[in-house]
Amino acid sequence: MNRLLIILALALTASACAHRDNYVLLPDRTGQAGTLNVKPVEGGKPIKLDQPYQAASSTLGGGFEEGTSSEQDVKKRYAAALDASPPPVARFTLYFLEGSDELTPASKRDLEAIMAEITARPAPDIVVVGHTDRVGTVADNDRLAKRRAESFKKRLQERGLADDAIQTAGRGEREPLIETPDETAEPRNRRVEILVR
Amino acid sequence: MFRTGKHIRVRIHLGSVAFGLASMFSATVFAAEAAPQAGNIWGAQIKVSRGVVSIERDGQRYPGLVGARLKEKDVIQTGGNGSVGVMFNDNSTLSLGPDAEVILQRYAYDSTTYMGAFDAYIKRGTVSVQAGNIAKQAPDAMRMVTPKAELSGTAKNYVVSVGE
Repeated sequence: MNRLLIILALALTASACAHRDNYVLLPDRTGQAGTLNVKPVEGGKPIKLDQPYQAASSTLGGGFEEGTSSEQDVKKRYAAALDASPPPVARFTLYFLEGSDELTPASKRDLEAIMAEITARPAPDIVVVGHTDRVGTVADNDRLAKRRAESFKKRLQERGLADDAIQTAGRGEREPLIETPDETAEPRNRRVEILVR
Repeated sequence: MFRTGKHIRVRIHLGSVAFGLASMFSATVFAAEAAPQAGNIWGAQIKVSRGVVSIERDGQRYPGLVGARLKEKDVIQTGGNGSVGVMFNDNSTLSLGPDAEVILQRYAYDSTTYMGAFDAYIKRGTVSVQAGNIAKQAPDAMRMVTPKAELSGTAKNYVVSVGE
């Protein structure tokens, strides 16, 4: 009789806490998962997830246990959240003449494709990221990169885009497309990336 | 359970104080540089919105429509038929399924260095997370916190389900 009561009590507890937390690591577009560290707030053993669809679920004791989910399970359980993901960022790269904020002739033509992407989105916001090659100082290149981005922003505004829909950033020489030694002129690194989001 | 809630509240408070100091400090640094610019107070924008979605800001409630901008301390809520997709300045995204609530505790992002801080508290519901430039630069700088755990790492995509 006692045992029956205990089982009943456990069953009730289990149904009251039926909403267990569940965290699932997903692969990115290249199939890589990276790592996800799950650190319980109440203390207890942290769990490190590093395989696609590896999962951590909360237990009744306040800790977490490791498990495995699947693509189908995630698609079913998280359908609404996944379906509401913002459309992927569209990226374009345009190139500049050396030391200036003047676009190359080919890049001037690419502007049309960018405009088409912008008009296809319901609430577009644009990030213009300027980059430089490694000729000059880091500080000068930060300024040049920002100037390239600002100059391109003006061009978009002339096409009717609102000021607050365009953010600019200058990454300077931090993110070269082609790795070079310092003080090397490299046309492919003198560019702006346009992110239509 | 009550103890947990209190513990979290204290931590949020400390976080905001730390951020306040950090932003004061960075404002000084920026002012010393050549090109001061108006700071972007907006950290994110709603890109997808279905059913009932609302934003709570300074005690006021606003409809969470496509195009609405969000900032630090905003609370995003979805109704029983609602879902919402949010894109942050560093290209991180959060998308919420129905009956969800997420508090944007902290959002700071430097678009030159990609340094930043992104803390969100997922109170309930299902959320799909895509990490952006902040986590790419420093994995620990982006933290998703639930009532039961704190999540961070080099992962680019993961999903979170929080019961009540």
